[in-house]
Amino acid sequence: MTATPRAEVATPLPRPTGRLERFARRQGWVVGVAVLLGALILWRSSQIPAFGAFEVRGIVAGTMTLALLAMAQTVIVISGGIDLSVGAMMVLTNCIAARLMLDQDLGPVVLVALLVVAVAMVLSGIIGAVAVVSGVPDIVVTLAASFILAGLALIVLDGPGGGTNPRFQELLVGGFDQPLPAALWLAGIFLLVWVPFKRSRLGIATYAVGSDRAAAFLSGLNVGRTRIAAYVMGGLFSGLAGLVTTAFTGSGEPRASIGATATLTSVAAVVLGGVALMGGSGTLLGPVLAAFCLALIAPLMLGLGWDPNYAEVARGVIIIVVVMIGGLLQVPRRAR
Amino acid sequence: MSQPLLQTTAVAKAFGPVVALRAVDLSVAPGEVHALLGANGAGKSTLVKILTGVLRNDSGTVAVNGEPVLLRSPTEARARGLAPVYQDPALIRDLTVAQNLRLTGVEVADVRRELAAMDLDGLDLDEQVRDIPLPFLRMLDLARALVFDPQLLVLDEITAALPPDLSERVFAIMGRWKKRDRSVLFISHRLAEVREHCDMCTVLRDGRNVASFHPGEGGESQIVAAMLGEASAGVRDVARERRAARERDEEEAPRLVVRDLLIDRQDAGVSFEVRAGEVLGLAALEGQGQDRLFEILSGNARAAGGEILVDGRPLRARHPYDAIRRGVVLVPSNRLAALLPQRPIRENIAIPLFNRVRRWGPINTGRERRQVSEAVTRLSIDTRAAAQARRLSGGNQQKLTIGRWLAAGFRTLLLFDPTRGIDVGTKHQIYDLVRELADAGAAIVMFTSELREIGLVCDRAAVLHNGAIVAELPPTASETDLLTAAHGLEVTAV
Amino acid sequence: MTTVVADPAVRDWRQTLVDRPAVALSGVLLLLYVVTGLVAPGMFTPNGVRSTLLLACPLAILAASQTLCMLTGGIDLSTVMTANFAAYVAANQSGQGPLAALSLALLVGLAVGTVNGVGVGVFKVNPLIMTLGMASVLLGVVTVGLVGDGFLSGSTRLLPVLRTVASGTLFGPVPNNVLVWALVAAVLIFGLSRTGLGRAVYAVGDNPIACRLAGVRIWQVLLAVYVLSALLAALGGLLFSGISGSVGPDQTNAYLLPSVAAAVIGGTSILGGVGGYTGTILGALILTVLNRLLLTLDTTEAFRQILYGLIVLALAWVYVRLTGQRGA
Repeated sequence: MTATPRAEVATPLPRPTGRLERFARRQGWVVGVAVLLGALILWRSSQIPAFGAFEVRGIVAGTMTLALLAMAQTVIVISGGIDLSVGAMMVLTNCIAARLMLDQDLGPVVLVALLVVAVAMVLSGIIGAVAVVSGVPDIVVTLAASFILAGLALIVLDGPGGGTNPRFQELLVGGFDQPLPAALWLAGIFLLVWVPFKRSRLGIATYAVGSDRAAAFLSGLNVGRTRIAAYVMGGLFSGLAGLVTTAFTGSGEPRASIGATATLTSVAAVVLGGVALMGGSGTLLGPVLAAFCLALIAPLMLGLGWDPNYAEVARGVIIIVVVMIGGLLQVPRRAR
Repeated sequence: MSQPLLQTTAVAKAFGPVVALRAVDLSVAPGEVHALLGANGAGKSTLVKILTGVLRNDSGTVAVNGEPVLLRSPTEARARGLAPVYQDPALIRDLTVAQNLRLTGVEVADVRRELAAMDLDGLDLDEQVRDIPLPFLRMLDLARALVFDPQLLVLDEITAALPPDLSERVFAIMGRWKKRDRSVLFISHRLAEVREHCDMCTVLRDGRNVASFHPGEGGESQIVAAMLGEASAGVRDVARERRAARERDEEEAPRLVVRDLLIDRQDAGVSFEVRAGEVLGLAALEGQGQDRLFEILSGNARAAGGEILVDGRPLRARHPYDAIRRGVVLVPSNRLAALLPQRPIRENIAIPLFNRVRRWGPINTGRERRQVSEAVTRLSIDTRAAAQARRLSGGNQQKLTIGRWLAAGFRTLLLFDPTRGIDVGTKHQIYDLVRELADAGAAIVMFTSELREIGLVCDRAAVLHNGAIVAELPPTASETDLLTAAHGLEVTAV
Repeated sequence: MTTVVADPAVRDWRQTLVDRPAVALSGVLLLLYVVTGLVAPGMFTPNGVRSTLLLACPLAILAASQTLCMLTGGIDLSTVMTANFAAYVAANQSGQGPLAALSLALLVGLAVGTVNGVGVGVFKVNPLIMTLGMASVLLGVVTVGLVGDGFLSGSTRLLPVLRTVASGTLFGPVPNNVLVWALVAAVLIFGLSRTGLGRAVYAVGDNPIACRLAGVRIWQVLLAVYVLSALLAALGGLLFSGISGSVGPDQTNAYLLPSVAAAVIGGTSILGGVGGYTGTILGALILTVLNRLLLTLDTTEAFRQILYGLIVLALAWVYVRLTGQRGA
């Protein structure tokens, strides 16, 4: 009878993807967004003869909120969920901070800031826990939560009001011509919070749960806890977004529509940043850069002399075209 | 006689009404490579899952080194020294290998050490799992299992889809384990390997162990005989008489012609023909390309080459709709893929009727009701749980997937393992139905993992091995011959 | 010898509730109406009933859009913008006569729906993102149109027919717009349960793989659904402008999330394959009455929001418990 065929040919090891190719494959999209952002900034600077610290600060500090919300949404989307309440959380923390910080010295103001972020993390954790325990889809739970949070914001502040400490404002978003504080905060949050998280076991588990919940479970991961942790992290970022809003505007504004618009824009930033809505892949950097790109559209149009109202149209068209292209590119990858 | 490393006594497991294991006694000595053999559905994978803590046995005991153990989870099984390497590597595709290892608490350095011992240290562990070909993922999984230094290494079909040189490394590891007085439980369909590398083998059939012997002595024929048992030889059916009585017009052009269809490989393709009124049985072991073949035939995938002719005209399908329009329909074995779980029976049966815009208008409810009830009656579908298809029993669900095409009409029927996981009573109903449909003029291609069905239902048999048809046998061929051919071995002429 | 296992034919009350959620919802609505009536006796007068129906109608039409999309496992976040845009176009072109103006308004819906449908069906873009982007585009288009010489800056005289239909009264407790609503409801309910397209919609939402194997071209179904959704949105916008007596670029925006909530409360699963318009109608009525109750109780906006959210969550949770549909 036949014997086991002897190996005559050694099976070649899979050619290890060169560092460049791997980088291109995994970070290609982010690089693309970064290049786009660079081009947009250059373009903008060419529009303004005296482009300097003032303009840079305007861009960075003005986009900080959206960037933070994009971070919040990214973490949750990577874990396989979605959070339609990030905007409302931002509004709530904005109002709490503005109310408590009114006429206070720096010391108490900083304490309030810490408190506010902690509250956001706890609330977000509760929302995540409800989603996990009840089995109701994330989108519905967070939709309901957005109403509840908006209502809470109105309880805290029944109209625009509150205030903050000017020194705190300077610390967080810098004076009119100081771009550094805002930029440093963003970079700091990214480097000190996200990067360690991504490398940690919890971070890998988050990607695993978003990629293949069943396989993650079989690998012994506590899926529920991981998902809730993602929501807590999202709460951290959206709480910070609310703080930044307080610092930037110097007051609190409980209007729910602000939250709704912000939430939807955060989802757009996430998709434009190369993070798959179905979860399991993507980085934080992409959506942050995409947030900046989105924020630059209106000023660019102003600079061109175009009606800035076209900015909204442009934004929408860009989102649609980009995701369509992204969809086409994804298909061959999935077929592998 | 020293203590067996692993001893199972009367282990039994049932899933509802389906009994997977009746009473299995398995004994693996230390320093032994022990093969676990059996046809599809004999209970091998259930036993493996029990030994590795994924499932709990209903009764019977499992003892390691003489001590009875309770394996409540994969972690506990591993702690007891039982480590598995599954056919589908348990790795998350979007992560890198290194990240996967971290997730399960395995040190990357340890795995690298094992890989080096296998001469595979060139593997890059920072690649994403989705970018690494399956053979190397298997080897990685093996390396990971070795890190735990298990007493019993359970290898589930590891050499299937492994090229020879990698298989050799696996055998080398098996040898190494033997020398250290540890053992290997080796599940495989490749009888030649079993003969060459295993000290003992146990054959399972119908959830029981039926033979244990040294595979070298009796050779492959003994193994095959044990797998099939005594009953295989003389079973004939009423259907057979019917078939013999029917006349067939040899001049008639075949309804379905498949020529050199390239499925998985580039060098050889699948070719066969089916006539109206004929049932062609397709036999193959797991993973020989039958899934892909049926996907291509039903229009759900494209072949790399070759052609399909339906009624003499080529079929170039880009969507199942194209195939369905030419009368070629598929009943898949995976009922989850084919059914609308939350919709009622009526909607499940009627869905193909609305697959084009012209049929989007108001439904003639009277006609629909008639078509549906015809199908339901013909198939004796139990409609008591009619409101949602997912509440039906497995057998009824399968009948539903067939019923849909009865209502919609077809000329060529593709059945993929139609009786998998179905109770015996429903199985026979389906056999009768298949014969009736053939008698009424349909051309039928039926893949089955249960070889005896070929004799019960089919007019001809073709055996698929490694992406090509390796033998065409008459339905009177014994299951031994079919199984032998399915292993890629020569069938000795009678 | 294995035995055939047949499913027990027990029909306990839970099963009935799952198969016919309309029963439970009607009960909830009735209870809620009575409670509201206790605080606001006006609810039991013909005028009270009329105003409830009047207000519920546009919400119910917008919720119809969501119902259709959700049945296929999607969502449409561009409905309110489509509604606003359509209302504007009708008002703008009202000088051309009602037929022309209304046709143009519906054309808006057709165009928006086609783009959405192509994006979701052909390019396989996630519906959340596709309709989101569309909403942005529409907002921009409307804003641009209103500026200075823009194409929407002409007259904003409301079509008289709209006023009559939207806010007139048929008799006693029944406003005119209920006629439109009833027509839409009839078409939708019949369409979903008795037409081939309706069957395809449920099937695509329940198991797209099975649909493909049965030969259904999914993109066709999705295109049809999103076009219908946008047409309904346009209709909703027209009706709303008739009620409010004016047009505005963000008139209906407050209805977006409640329209989704109405569908969810009505038993349509956001994952697809289950639900229908009957439940949504009841959901819309429940939300409208609830709103009225909260207004009458003189609660603050804040309390209303919170309660709203809690009730939506509670009802969704109950559905999951009863039907065993767990989130993905």
